[in-house]
Amino acid sequence: MIYIGAEVIVSPLGDTAEDNWQALRENRSGIALIPDAGFNQEAIHLSRITGLNGPLRFQRLITQAMATLKERIDASILVSDRTIVLISSTKGALDDNLHDQFSETCVSAKEQFKLANLPLVISNACISGVLTVNVAGNMVEAGQYDHVIVVGCDVASDFVLYGFQSLFAVSDKPCAPFDAARNGITLGEGCGAVLVSATRSVFKNAPLELLTGASANDANHISGPSRTGEGLVRSVTRTMRKHGADAGEIDFICAHGTGTVFNDEMEAIAFDRLALSDKPLNSLKGYFGHTLGAAGVIETAVCMQMIRNGMMIRSMGYRDAGTSIPLNIMVENEPKKLRTILKTASGFGGGNASLMIRDL
Amino acid sequence: MDSLKEDLKKQIIEQLNLEDLSVEDIADDALLFNDQGLGLDSIDALELIVLLEKYHGIQLTNPEEGKEAFKSIDTMAAYIRKRNAA
Amino acid sequence: MKVITAYCNLRADECLVNGEVIARRDSSSEDSWFKQLYRQQELVYPKFYKMDALSQAGYLASELIKRANPGFPEAYADDEIAMVFANASSSAVTDRRFIQSYEHGGSPSPSLFVYTLPNIVLGEIAILNKWYGENLFAVLPKFTPGFYLDYNQILLASGSRALLGGWLEVTADSTDVFLFLVEEQESGMEFSSENLLHLSQAGSVAA
Repeated sequence: MIYIGAEVIVSPLGDTAEDNWQALRENRSGIALIPDAGFNQEAIHLSRITGLNGPLRFQRLITQAMATLKERIDASILVSDRTIVLISSTKGALDDNLHDQFSETCVSAKEQFKLANLPLVISNACISGVLTVNVAGNMVEAGQYDHVIVVGCDVASDFVLYGFQSLFAVSDKPCAPFDAARNGITLGEGCGAVLVSATRSVFKNAPLELLTGASANDANHISGPSRTGEGLVRSVTRTMRKHGADAGEIDFICAHGTGTVFNDEMEAIAFDRLALSDKPLNSLKGYFGHTLGAAGVIETAVCMQMIRNGMMIRSMGYRDAGTSIPLNIMVENEPKKLRTILKTASGFGGGNASLMIRDL
Repeated sequence: MDSLKEDLKKQIIEQLNLEDLSVEDIADDALLFNDQGLGLDSIDALELIVLLEKYHGIQLTNPEEGKEAFKSIDTMAAYIRKRNAA
Repeated sequence: MKVITAYCNLRADECLVNGEVIARRDSSSEDSWFKQLYRQQELVYPKFYKMDALSQAGYLASELIKRANPGFPEAYADDEIAMVFANASSSAVTDRRFIQSYEHGGSPSPSLFVYTLPNIVLGEIAILNKWYGENLFAVLPKFTPGFYLDYNQILLASGSRALLGGWLEVTADSTDVFLFLVEEQESGMEFSSENLLHLSQAGSVAA
């Protein structure tokens, strides 16, 4: 069995998974209107971490998340050559060193935590986080490593904001995934971390089970979601088939839900094709914004907290059905014992990825 | 020859990296977003918005507005003339 | 056994397929090297001109591998070919061009922005070939055969039957592109660290 645990979330809502959970329970969002942030000095809604300024923000967030994770595991595994750290990110330390966006951070983490192996960076746009958790599980399953630490991180930058502005993809209000009035994404920054291992005893608190999934390309467009949801359908189908799971076993879906018209519509079509459109579902982008390479790890960590706390969190920003096929989107928090959660992600480059987390 | 249309063709080739095309290859009435025409896509449409601002000082705040204007070189030229006359 | 059935090396001045030089750069030409290669090889895919250098490199090398290996990819279902690519500098060259578009060019360019992710090249190849398989892009300090061996083992255990691996480092100063195809066959060049390292240097002075 592949275990996943020791989850950490660093975001505007707090520095630990528990702090973040408290905020989610209270339906607090990290999104705020930031004056002069946009390309034309317009105010933009962003989910930014207060006090995270200056150089080396990427490196500092990763160090912070790993230090917190270290407290929650048997710390001796950090220095083992049977352990590897995977970093999931899109733009890394772009603002520090355009031409080498990751290696200084990897070297620094290796030195600081006395890691035996240099961290490996996986960069697959918005599916990076979910994909990297899957890579971690696959590595453990194949016996390549005993323990894999996944750290997903991206920091706010003018670069990414101006880019999404040039695509007319930035929401003029806090993003409203799946809502009829949604009109774009809200960017965020943050860091999530989890430990994936086949050894239960390395977790100080009880871990959960990771049911690793598959990725699938849409083969449609590099920046536009598929109209048919084909890649997402194939990814989820393969993930469920791998574990012999049928739709009846899925208690909850933590969707990608960016808040753009086309992405959310694509997801609705895909979940309908998968006969999952009646499952309770949320998007967490209304709380954290879209944290890109961190999103899949942060959101997986929230799935784990939902299972641990027996609570479905409402989909922030959603009010009225806004997809051609209605989904069962959470409008209020609701206590419920959850056994299996499906987590999905879709992104630029046509990527789709999914995984499942199961209670033990 | 209409110099605005000529300029537009040059600007489109430059801005959209259509390096295999020359001005002579683009007919005034060719459909820009049709595969039988130039075969442009949704990102190219956004790039045309950048082009309008950069070379013609025209701001488009809603991509939907561009849909009619960007049908062909003819319609783009007409749109620019209309906006500049207003 | 897992064997390397075709490979392509694309360097600053020459392009090799299965170890044979198929094209050399014409230094007197005003065209970019990738564009020269595209024309010389009589490839037809107008989207090529819109791609950034990383995607152009991946497109060219993958097309040349297909050409050198007739029958592939028809031998596989549309989701059985996985792609695992890596490089050292992510999308830095295009990132820089995008920054220039808003710092000096007046406004951020959407068509540059969409290429400011290293995995876009995987998307381009998937779109062209209608491949719905697994994709992974890693950023590594240098070409590391063990990375491909490890991940290939995982993918082949989970439904993929062929793997297109790639190292695509295209910067302002250097071009170091190596794509290779791994398939299950009874005999051939074994998919091993030694062979990968050797083939990655095919034809170069260092080899």
